[in-house]
Parts: sequence; C-alpha cells; structure tokens
Amino acid sequence: MFAGTIRMSVPILLPALGDIYTQRSGILNLGVEGVMLMGALAGFLGVAFTDNLFIGMVFSAFIGMISAGVMAFLSVTVKANQVIAGTAITILGAGLSSFLFRAIFGVQKLPPLVREFPVCKIPVLSDIPYIGTIFFEHNLFVYLAYILVPLTWLILERTTFGLNARAVGEHPHAADAKGINVSLTRYLCVLIGGAYAGLGGAFLSIGFMNTFLAQMVGGRGFIAIAVVVFSRWEPFRALAAALLFGVANALQVRLQAMGVPFPPQALQALPYIMTIVVLLSVSRRASFPSAYTIPFSREER
Amino acid sequence: MTEATAKSAFNSVISAVTAVFTALIFGFVLLWVCGYDAVKAYTTMFNGAFGSANRFAETIVKTIPLTVMALGTAIAFKSKIWNIGGNGQFIVGGALSLYVALNFKLPALIMFPLSIFMAFAGGALWGGLAGYLKAKYNANEVITTLMLNYIASFLLAWLVRGPMMDPAGFGFPQTPLIDKSLQLSSLLAGTRLHSGFIIAVIIVILCWILSRSIFGFRMELIGESHEVAAYSGINVKKTTLMTMLISGGLAGLAGWNEVFGLHHRLLDDVAGNYGSMAIVIALLGGLHPLGIFVSGLLFSALLVGGGTMQRMSGIPLSLVDIIQGTVIIFVISRAALTLKSK
Repeated sequence: MFAGTIRMSVPILLPALGDIYTQRSGILNLGVEGVMLMGALAGFLGVAFTDNLFIGMVFSAFIGMISAGVMAFLSVTVKANQVIAGTAITILGAGLSSFLFRAIFGVQKLPPLVREFPVCKIPVLSDIPYIGTIFFEHNLFVYLAYILVPLTWLILERTTFGLNARAVGEHPHAADAKGINVSLTRYLCVLIGGAYAGLGGAFLSIGFMNTFLAQMVGGRGFIAIAVVVFSRWEPFRALAAALLFGVANALQVRLQAMGVPFPPQALQALPYIMTIVVLLSVSRRASFPSAYTIPFSREER
Repeated sequence: MTEATAKSAFNSVISAVTAVFTALIFGFVLLWVCGYDAVKAYTTMFNGAFGSANRFAETIVKTIPLTVMALGTAIAFKSKIWNIGGNGQFIVGGALSLYVALNFKLPALIMFPLSIFMAFAGGALWGGLAGYLKAKYNANEVITTLMLNYIASFLLAWLVRGPMMDPAGFGFPQTPLIDKSLQLSSLLAGTRLHSGFIIAVIIVILCWILSRSIFGFRMELIGESHEVAAYSGINVKKTTLMTMLISGGLAGLAGWNEVFGLHHRLLDDVAGNYGSMAIVIALLGGLHPLGIFVSGLLFSALLVGGGTMQRMSGIPLSLVDIIQGTVIIFVISRAALTLKSK
C-alpha cells in the first residue's frame, strides 16, 4: 500500500510542482487537466511510434508546453479571463486527446499497449528491508518527480528567475518598474507548468497503464491545483499534500474492504475541505499572490 | 433600448455567430485531415439533433438543465464572480429537493412548490457558502467552488450508496423513485420531453427581468469596479453574497428539473459535465438570458447530435468537446480584442 501511495502521488505531484511556478507568477491555469491529457497522449504516441520510452517522456513534456502555451497566449497576450481560458483548455485537451487517439488507433477490442517502463531498483538502498521496496523500487518517473521537489524549491527560492516569478505574481507593476519582463516571466512559468503537467499525464499513460484512456487523468489536474493552494505555493508542502490526497484515497479503499461503519466518501472529501480551510487562513493573512488571475498591462494601474 | 446598447448587443451576436462558425470549420478541417467523411459527420449530427420528433425532444431535454444552470453561471460572471461550482450546486439542490419529496408525505399541491423551493435553497446554500467566504474572508471563489464541487460529488456518492439508497435497487447506486404525482408530466407523448421545459422558459424570463432590475444593475456594477460600486452606496459584500445565492440557487433548480423531470431519482454522477458546459453556454450567450437560451439549445443539439454521429458513423463524440473548446477560445479572444480597440 505504501509503495502504491508513493507511485500514485506522482501524477498529482508532478503537475502540482509545475503549477507552483504558474500560480506564483499570478496565473491560475484551470486547464492543467487538459494539458495532462495531451501529455498522456503525447507520451503514448511517442513510445508507440519510436518504441523509445525516453522519446515518449520528452514528447509529452513538449506537447504539455504547447498546450499550456495556448493558455499563456490567452491569459498573457490576449489578456482574456483566466478562469474561462482554463476551462477552454481543459475541454479542448480532453476532446483533442481522445479524438486523435481514436483517429489514429481506431476502435479496438483491447486497448493498444506499449512496452512497460522498467523498474529501476536503486542499488544498496533498495536492499534496506521494508523501506527499500517502498521508496527505491520504482520507475524513472517516480524518481524524477521526487528529485524535482528540492529542485523546484531551489529554482523558486534561490534563483533570480524564481524571485522574478514571485515578484510578477505579487506586484507586477513594481516588477515592471524594476525592469523585469512581466509577460516573458509569466509565459515561462506557464510553459514550465505545462511541461510538468505533460509529464504527469505521461506517467499515467506510459509509466503506469501502458496505454491511453480518455478518462485516465480523472480530475488529477484539478486535485493538483488544490494541492498547490493547500501547500501555500511551496514544493515540500506540495509533496506532503500530494501524499495526503493519495493516502486518503488508498485508506478509503482499505476501510471499505474492512467494512468499517464509516462513510469512506467522508475520508475522500476531507482533503478538499482542508484545502478550503487553508485557503481561508491564507486569504486572511494575505499571503496569496496578490496579482492572482489579474492580467498585466502597463497602461492600467 | 438605447443606440449604444443595441449596437453592443448586435456586436456580441455577431461575435457569437462567428465563433460558432469558425469552430465548426475547425472541426470540419480536423475531421478531413484525420480521414473522416466530414460532410457526413455534420449531416448525421444535424439529423441526430433535429431529424425526428424524438430526436428534437432529446435535444430540448438536454437544453433544460443546461440553460438553467448557465443562467446561474451568467449571473455570477456578470458580477465578475467566477462561480465554477455549478455541478456542486446542482447536486445539493437536486438532493435536498429529492430528500423532501421522498420523506414527507404531503399533498402534491404543497409538495411541488416546496420541492422547487428546497432545490433553490440547496443550490443557494452551496453557492452562498462560497459567496460568504469570499465576502467575509476574501477567499478566492474559483478555488472554493471547485472544492465544493468535489465535496458535493462525494456527498452524492455517499447518499446514493448509504442513507438514500433504493432498498429495492439490487445494490445499484441510486435512490428510490419519487411518487408518480410529483414527476413532471410529459409534454409530448412517446418522448422524454417533460413540462420542466415550461419552467425553464419561465426562469429565462425571470432572469431577464432580474437583469433589468435595480438589483441586476447593482450586480453588474460590482462587476465593473468594487470602488465605484461602494462609492455609489452599494454594499459590495452583501451584493456578492446575494449574487452567489441566486447563482447557486439557479444551478439547484437545474438539478431539480433533471431529477423531477427526467430521472425521477438521484443517480451517481447525475451532474455529469454540465458545469463546464454551462460556462461555455453562458459565455457564448453573451451572459444574456435570451442568448443563453439560444446557445443552450445549440450545445444540446451538438451533444445529442454528436451522440448519434458516434453511433452511426463511428466518428468520436469528442469532436463536440473540441468544438466547444474552440468556441470559447474564439469568443474570449474576440472579446478581448474589441475591448482593446475601444
């Protein structure tokens, strides 16, 4: 169960980490779900046509960036409303991914499978009893997601780019006055978010199921958005939050199997209720990115 | 109607029509590129939505909840309150009215209006919660309504498997049927078209009246600017809360319509993806009640016709999602561009 929780936190953790960049720069991308679906399809196509898992991964990140690029264009260049633009991306991503999949592979009795992602046992560490199987017997995606946690933190907190991203999300006019290119920074943040989300989708298709299903992302893109708010835009807390959402789900299945007289749905709903509670405390202390969902234009004050 | 508003109304109609046409052409090209017979796809889609009395009735049946829900979405969007919690409000409204209908033995004459009231109250409760949190704690309504959607769908999953489960339902996740006297009567024999349609039309008219009222003006003004609204003596917090109560209440009424008119019971996932479709419909309708009614009809036709297309010619229904997504992208791009050129 624990190894499973670690594995199933990946398709939430990856898009959530990427979405931290996006949200910190002041953009709420409700299209993460659609971007993940496009990434899932791209990963599958990459492997199906080249038989190379690495190409599948790269291709999913690339298509994720392109899909998120539409969001960046709409919200930064066109200055359209982000809620509506994000909704459009989700609907379009869901439609396009399943349409293209069916157009390319047709209707088949059994879903087409691609080769399995090999499990890399980390030498020495995986031999540790109990802990070894939980943490060190996974495929590349899982390690990548976990390495990205400190890396994302490092980039956001210790590099100029990370600080710029935050400045642009907090106070775009001040950032602009200091010579930071607001539009470029926001574009980059949304694109990075897209690459992470694409990889998160590809984990589901090529890193877990070895096929593509239209419903496979199943709302994880929205959960990732909740995780980011829950974690107050911080990568390490996002890891904890992703695990929490995963544990609540895994525990729910367990409890149901054991016949505990307790509605399992209450347990599933708990992380969402807690997200609202966290949001309340964050909103009161105003540690929310102040320019959240507000388009930037120089003429307007 | 003054000349300026007439002109802007004309502009938004033009923009909506262009968006739909461009999206349909985009879909056509995509079909053609992927090697499908695009002409056949569109003709089966059209016939599937309007080809027979039964098909047309199905289109109207879908139009009812979608239009009512989109009206609620539009009321919030006009005030620039981004209520994306239509699904949750739909579920809570539907569940509360069904609970009352199943558990209280009252004459239909009393129960009928009571169930409508409870549906509105349920949706208003769920929407109002987000409105209250926004007014009181400045909590971003996009996140709260999104979370409340999930909470409502877990609530529904629990209700139809637990306390409200049909004891004679062979373990299916559904509630018992409501009494025959409470089910909305059929409008057209042999089809599923029910009298909820008449109620939907009444709601469209009421929303139009609301938008022309002083309160409608206040809601629009807080959408323009909180400062200006406050300066003109409008209580911004109170209006925000009221807007979310009405917006949620309308989604609850959509739930009532679906439960009392179509399913006569609650099912798991009864709201489907109505929430995101309502956003598309509200937007394409220019947030205007009449426009919403027309675009609701259009998207229901796409949905019903698309289903037929998939069955008859094997062209995936997801084409409809692609058309929807592109429609919004065109609408918002055009709206933003016309704003800039002003």
